[in-house]
Amino acid sequence: MEMISDVLQFIGVFVSFSIAYVAYHGVRRIHSSSLLRLTAAFVFLGFGFAVEGFVGLSQVISNLPFSTMAVVAGLLFETTGYFFLAFSHALDVMMSKRMGVALLIFPVISLSGAQLVDILSTLSFYFVLYGVVETVYSYARTRKPDTLLIAVGLAMISLGTFVQWLSLLYLNVDVLLLLQIIMKEIGLLILFTPVLNFAVGRVRLDGTI
Amino acid sequence: MVQYRTQVRIIADVLSTAKDMNTEGNGVGVTTLLRKGNMSYSRMSKLLSELVGSGLLTELNGDKISKYMISEKGTQFLTVYRQFEDFAQSFGLRL
Repeated sequence: MEMISDVLQFIGVFVSFSIAYVAYHGVRRIHSSSLLRLTAAFVFLGFGFAVEGFVGLSQVISNLPFSTMAVVAGLLFETTGYFFLAFSHALDVMMSKRMGVALLIFPVISLSGAQLVDILSTLSFYFVLYGVVETVYSYARTRKPDTLLIAVGLAMISLGTFVQWLSLLYLNVDVLLLLQIIMKEIGLLILFTPVLNFAVGRVRLDGTI
Repeated sequence: MVQYRTQVRIIADVLSTAKDMNTEGNGVGVTTLLRKGNMSYSRMSKLLSELVGSGLLTELNGDKISKYMISEKGTQFLTVYRQFEDFAQSFGLRL
């Protein structure tokens, strides 16, 4: 089961880097800072999934000992990615001079574990949750179906992150490990929709149609 | 609701005005751009010279006043801007 979840991490790598690739072309073409933050978010997420996938696979295939620091590094990349996503929304809130809906969700970080992995998972959960609330708010403003879809995708990722957090508490429940990665992968595949729209709309990244 | 605009958004707004208001094909005056662009004259003048310099706008010199017309490069920029605006909006973000 662990091998399946490790292989699934690489779907996350593909989706994250695809989104980062499209966003980066946007940065190059129109010099948008919002797209730069989106690029940063998905580059970090991609590296996070890659590190977690490689660490998991090296453990399963060759039973190599791996450093706890590698796991922490993977989670740190992932959390940084979610942070950039949340940060983009926070800046958007400040730009529009409105009160962020997600400010109502005050982060209550669990300090009981005192482990870096626990803290990073908790932070990821709050960052994605912030992204969900702001994206839903954005949908209420624009009524764009794609935005609602992305909100659903982010909600799946936040649920996955929550289950990942639970799996740290209930170490003997294997199904939680697989469930969290499946939820995250479904969420990431939903996030892939805007990239597909580029392909379906025959929009080439050099700007021509 | 008051909303700040990023530099790229302001450029897109000016280019859109230059494109949409140019109904007679002889360009758009600074007054129209100022009214639609919602910014000061000094800031608009600086921006217009930058846009002309980068080839996004074409300056048409009349007898007394200059008029501005969107160039081919400007139209391409607007098309690409709208595509990426759509992409960013999908993530609930504004450009």
